[in-house]
Amino acid sequence: MITFQNVTKTYKGSTVALRDCSIEIDKGEFVFLVGPSGSGKTTFIRLLLREEIPSSGRIWEAGKEIGHLSKWRIPYLRRNIGCVFQDFRLLPNKTVFENVAFALEVIGRPKHVIASQVPQVLDLVGLTKKSGNLPGELSGGEQQRVAVARAFVNRPLILLADEPTGNLDPTTSLGIMRLLDRINRTGTTVVVATHDAGMVDQMRRRVIELDHGDIVRDQARGMYGLDSAIAAAGAGSPTGTMVETATAPVAKAGAPAPTTGYADSRDRLGRRDVDS
Amino acid sequence: MPVSAGYVAREATTNLWRNRLMTAAAVLTVAVSLALVGSALLLKQGATKATVHWQNGVGVAVWVNGDASPAQFQAIGTQLAQNPLVKSCIARSQAYDFNEARQTVAADEFNATKQSDYPSSYRCVLQNPSDATAVVQQFTGKPGIFGTPSSPTAQIRTMESVIHILQWVFLSVAVVLLLSASVLILNTIRMAIFARRREVSVMKLVGATNWFIRLPFMAEGLIQGLLGSAVAVLVVLGLYWGIGLDTTKTAANQGNLIAQMSMGTWEVAATCILVGVVGIGVGVAGSALAVRRFLDV
Repeated sequence: MITFQNVTKTYKGSTVALRDCSIEIDKGEFVFLVGPSGSGKTTFIRLLLREEIPSSGRIWEAGKEIGHLSKWRIPYLRRNIGCVFQDFRLLPNKTVFENVAFALEVIGRPKHVIASQVPQVLDLVGLTKKSGNLPGELSGGEQQRVAVARAFVNRPLILLADEPTGNLDPTTSLGIMRLLDRINRTGTTVVVATHDAGMVDQMRRRVIELDHGDIVRDQARGMYGLDSAIAAAGAGSPTGTMVETATAPVAKAGAPAPTTGYADSRDRLGRRDVDS
Repeated sequence: MPVSAGYVAREATTNLWRNRLMTAAAVLTVAVSLALVGSALLLKQGATKATVHWQNGVGVAVWVNGDASPAQFQAIGTQLAQNPLVKSCIARSQAYDFNEARQTVAADEFNATKQSDYPSSYRCVLQNPSDATAVVQQFTGKPGIFGTPSSPTAQIRTMESVIHILQWVFLSVAVVLLLSASVLILNTIRMAIFARRREVSVMKLVGATNWFIRLPFMAEGLIQGLLGSAVAVLVVLGLYWGIGLDTTKTAANQGNLIAQMSMGTWEVAATCILVGVVGIGVGVAGSALAVRRFLDV
């Protein structure tokens, strides 16, 4: 479903956001992208949305090479991708129903399709009773569920979420993650960039860890940090298998293994933050 | 995906209403500038009509010395009749010219003269009005001729050049105003884009095509241009009917400048169409520039 082949993304001033990344995500997978600020998670998402183009390497999404996609085809690519952000990005003057319907309206879906699909997806996210409310009248968790509904209403092949629980408390975050899990069970590939260690540890899905543009870990049924994975393994819990991909430079030659927190790791490598 | 006209119209009108103060300013500027363009065009058409009218009436008055013998007077008449440039001539006696002077010369000046001071004359109509100068040259200084034969050509030329200057002044002011109207429309659309940047980012995110995002903004500019040109067309029509430039009032204005400038419905309709097209053009150009410059799709 998603293939990165030796992808490097360099911003102006030679800031490297992603370095020679190669990765493959299959259809129907649920993947967490983890790593400290500046590790390249958001660039990863932006590349998938074709908001950025790789400096080198190639990206395939749903069978299409998107790096050289002509500009007029980009909207059609995005119709296959749902996207959820930390700041919800809802339209404050539209009701919950209208916000979700907007995603179908702008791609020209007929009214009868909108009338049938929007209530279905609002039911899925548990907001049927709030369909007439404005976003300002909802809690943060409810607003994020509206954003998820909007991302999913078009039944996309891929759902990308950039820090979807960044503004939410742990209980609400759990609700959002369960929702993403339900969506994943419908066959949609879900990629979640997150800092939410508790959530990643609880969900036990594939984890791709980025550090200053390098993929340093690709682990099936992984945990947020290497520390927690080791701790869990030491405790004899079924953590799954640590998988290091052939292309992932797990540790730089001469650099100590990242055994401490991410802030330490960033300071040690002394690289700039490009992710914010 | 075809963009629904209903959606574009709805979005454009909603945005115009939200941003109504700037919209009103842009529409008024378009209206004033296009009204000036329309007036200049009417003036030009009127001047062309009047010039033809005046030129058709241009003749040459050949003055004959008051003491010339009847044979001499007759001979000049024959020369004029045989001149290929002259169509026809009417002989006027000293008494006629004296009476005519009573109407045209100031009273105290007229009272100081007597009939014998006036020349008799031939009033000639030419085959081609533009030959007036040639006829004047041919008869100047001939025996029995009093002074220089006169023709109103010079006055017509002066009139034409005044109208020509006025027309250019109108058009220059109108061009400056049209430019400022375009900039105002551009600014209105820029503000609309800024106000809707959140909506635009969501549209992009969910896969709206570039034209789906752009068209409502372009339509806003188009509507502003249309509204402005509609007001300008009303001004042009007001001018046309208000001061009686329509041919139906020619009889009422008989003899004055306005009657000579009068024109048909088709000519004023052409002016209105041109004003409308320019208005739409200004609106579309302003909004297209704003969309290109400020809308990142």
